Amino acid sequence: MGFLKNWLSSKKRTKQLNEIAAQQNLTATLEENRSFLATIFKGCSDVVFHDFTIFGQISAVLIYIEGLVDKEKLDQNVLTPLLNKTGEPFSINTVSGVIPVSNIKELNYIEEIIDEISNGHPILLLDHQKKGISLGLTQLEHRAIEEPPAESVIRGPREGFTELLTINTSLLRRRIKSPQLKVKNIVVGRYTRTKIGVYYIEGIAEKSLIKEVMRRLDKIYMDGILGSGYIEELIEDQSNSLFPQILSTERPDVVVSYLLEGHVTILCDGNPVALVVPITLFSFLQSSEDYAQKFMIGSLIRWLRYISVAIVLLLPSTYVALLTYHQEMIPTSLLLTIAKSREQIPFPALFEALLMEITFEALREAGVRLPQQLGTAISIVGALVIGQAATAAGLVSSPMVMVVAITGVASFLLPHYPIGITLRILRFPIMFLAGMLGLLGIILGIIAIVIHLCSLRSFGVPYLTPIVPMVKQDLKDVLYRSPIWARNKRPHSTSKQNPIRQSPGQKPEAENEEELHSD
Amino acid sequence: MIERGKISALQMAMILHSTIAATALLAMPSVTMKYAHQDMWLSPIWASLGGFLIVWITFQLHKFYPKESFIEYVPRIIGRFLGSIFAFLYLFFYWIILGDIVREYGEFLITNFLAHTPYSVISGSMLLVCAYAVRGGVEVIGRSAQFFVPIVMPLFLIVLLLLIPDLKPQNMLPMFEHGLKPSLIGAIPPLSAFYGEFFLISFLYPYVSDKQNKLRWGIYSVLSVVWTMLLVSFSTLLIFGKVGAHLTYPLIGVARYISLADFLEHLESIVAAIWVLSMFIKMTMIYYALSLGTAQWLKLTDYRPLIFPIGILSLVLSIWTVPNLQVLSQFINSTGTIYFLLMQYLIPLLLLIVAYFRRKQNQKKVAEQA
Repeated sequence: MGFLKNWLSSKKRTKQLNEIAAQQNLTATLEENRSFLATIFKGCSDVVFHDFTIFGQISAVLIYIEGLVDKEKLDQNVLTPLLNKTGEPFSINTVSGVIPVSNIKELNYIEEIIDEISNGHPILLLDHQKKGISLGLTQLEHRAIEEPPAESVIRGPREGFTELLTINTSLLRRRIKSPQLKVKNIVVGRYTRTKIGVYYIEGIAEKSLIKEVMRRLDKIYMDGILGSGYIEELIEDQSNSLFPQILSTERPDVVVSYLLEGHVTILCDGNPVALVVPITLFSFLQSSEDYAQKFMIGSLIRWLRYISVAIVLLLPSTYVALLTYHQEMIPTSLLLTIAKSREQIPFPALFEALLMEITFEALREAGVRLPQQLGTAISIVGALVIGQAATAAGLVSSPMVMVVAITGVASFLLPHYPIGITLRILRFPIMFLAGMLGLLGIILGIIAIVIHLCSLRSFGVPYLTPIVPMVKQDLKDVLYRSPIWARNKRPHSTSKQNPIRQSPGQKPEAENEEELHSD
Repeated sequence: MIERGKISALQMAMILHSTIAATALLAMPSVTMKYAHQDMWLSPIWASLGGFLIVWITFQLHKFYPKESFIEYVPRIIGRFLGSIFAFLYLFFYWIILGDIVREYGEFLITNFLAHTPYSVISGSMLLVCAYAVRGGVEVIGRSAQFFVPIVMPLFLIVLLLLIPDLKPQNMLPMFEHGLKPSLIGAIPPLSAFYGEFFLISFLYPYVSDKQNKLRWGIYSVLSVVWTMLLVSFSTLLIFGKVGAHLTYPLIGVARYISLADFLEHLESIVAAIWVLSMFIKMTMIYYALSLGTAQWLKLTDYRPLIFPIGILSLVLSIWTVPNLQVLSQFINSTGTIYFLLMQYLIPLLLLIVAYFRRKQNQKKVAEQA
């Protein structure tokens, strides 16, 4: 029954997609075709119908959308030869023969023609021909390739994806020159007709994974896809989880490193953010920068990041718990200092913490949305409100300001924005638990989070791999950043079938040392 | 099968380790010390024989019925009617155990840390978290154990390491003052109450994916529990001497001794936090066995609808069965010992014998027919 249902719905779907023009052939008369297309594009003032005569014999029409087409080339390479040459024997082959355009396609169906026009390809229709010619003379306005501001690095390439799928594909192709890099394109969105590219390396990525990604993408059927955020929400494993289960990045080098480990990447036209699946929690705590530095430094920075996760999640709540329930754990002199500063404060520690943390979050959010010139103003206001004034007014104790500040700094250490926002949100319920049950509440909160993480999966890969379930060979890239010469195998979870990444024994050895020093 | 998840043998061992060590850490030293005095460090070693025995018995039973849990194969061994009654007795047994454990957990936190928080809030919140884990099934339980045990163990070791300056080895003397007898008697409570809990392994065996390593990792987990108990026994004995017998929770007292650089003091909250993590795995495991077993006993297709009612009933039962901690420890040391021994050693052993002869008879029948 299931397949029948699927088949029926897919039938229905194509029908709806081509609501305007069903699988209809072009007719032999130009006038008919032209008027049909004119009714379809009725009210679209940007669609140009340019009538002319080829070789002085046959009437033809050139249809294109203004602004999507390289007009200069269209005039030079298409109109000039067709108008100037006269007296040649006419056929569709000679026409395409005299046009110096490399990307030429012959089309039979109205539907295809509409698609091509919408994608910015000019269409040439001829009288007495059941075929149209699509000319690849698109010129789309696009942003230059720049460094993505959210993922800047000190040492590494400064290229980022742009809004144009073709450019993004070329950025990937430039880095992986092997024909094993495969690209599958599908079109999603009834009205937006958004092109989506699925990238993987054949022979490394698991076939089942590619199939699953395609299955989930094929299921999408809606009016429009406005960005990769839409796709992420539509294909992730568990929608009602705070944790991101798909990695989003604007950096082609990051995508390439994942592709080489057997992951699948999804790019969406009109959006510079690539999605990488499957992913584990630890991928969000790694940065491409780790591999640009020496492995020991990379490891230390990675540990710093792990500590910062603990701080973001637990510091405010631990402070609240200690002050409210476990004063005996604080060394006496420190306790006295804190008590002195809290003498004037009218609020309990939990309320104080909530007040400050919410103010901080608000300031941060405001800073993100504001133009850069105003951003500095916000930071001045923030420093005054959060720091100076609040303490001077006796509303907040200065140790609490420090706690909030340290938490804030720690949250900036997380290299991927989505995981940072998740942890920042989670610290609020843990703060409440700490206010109610002290350390016990914090532990309960941690247990609940771990249970949740243990039950999460990203495209079949458990979210906490390789820690839980333990994969020994992958631990070296999570517990520390292993040296590049030691990474002989690809991660087990994504490329079981083809595990060998490099030949062993790549560790540099100064074999020719004697030769070097011989003179 | 109701449960579709799979765990690794390592995860099974980690679940069992926390299940047994969690309560043993706190309650074991004072109990063994009562009977074995300064020889109490020997008692866990004697008692461990019981642990090995149970792991072996349940493994043999599991080999007869490889895809079923205890509740499912009992009726196959001794007949449907009797088997169902026996299975129910086991469910009831685990219900009481869960109640006791919840009570122990709540009482411990109330007496030591949260004196003013209501009992039902403390135990209820923990049960709620456990229910969340049970909902995830054996896979989630195994993974959480694998996540927490590697955190708990080093912390536990660090706490014990920090104690080294306070240890007084002369507390062990005189050794074997009255022969081996006191230490053997002292082995009975850990044998029945702590090592007996290894019987829960019969609920995990069917879901372990690596077949060859099941028994091996079961034995490893007994060994790791012995090792943990030894460390706790020694640290209690060498710090408190004979006074330890009069403390309800010697380990917490031990943690109060830690002082490092006049800064790290009063680490008992950290010890308690570690303990809560192990306790969570213990309660989840029993809770899970109870929910799954009940569903299997009632032949339901899913155990999840049972989780919430069982949680509430356990919370209520934890208040009903015992009025206070003294009665609870009285029960564990007297009637409880026989109850635990009967349910976790004797009956499984008898069942194994019956199953063995049945199997032989069947084989004979098959041979005759052939």
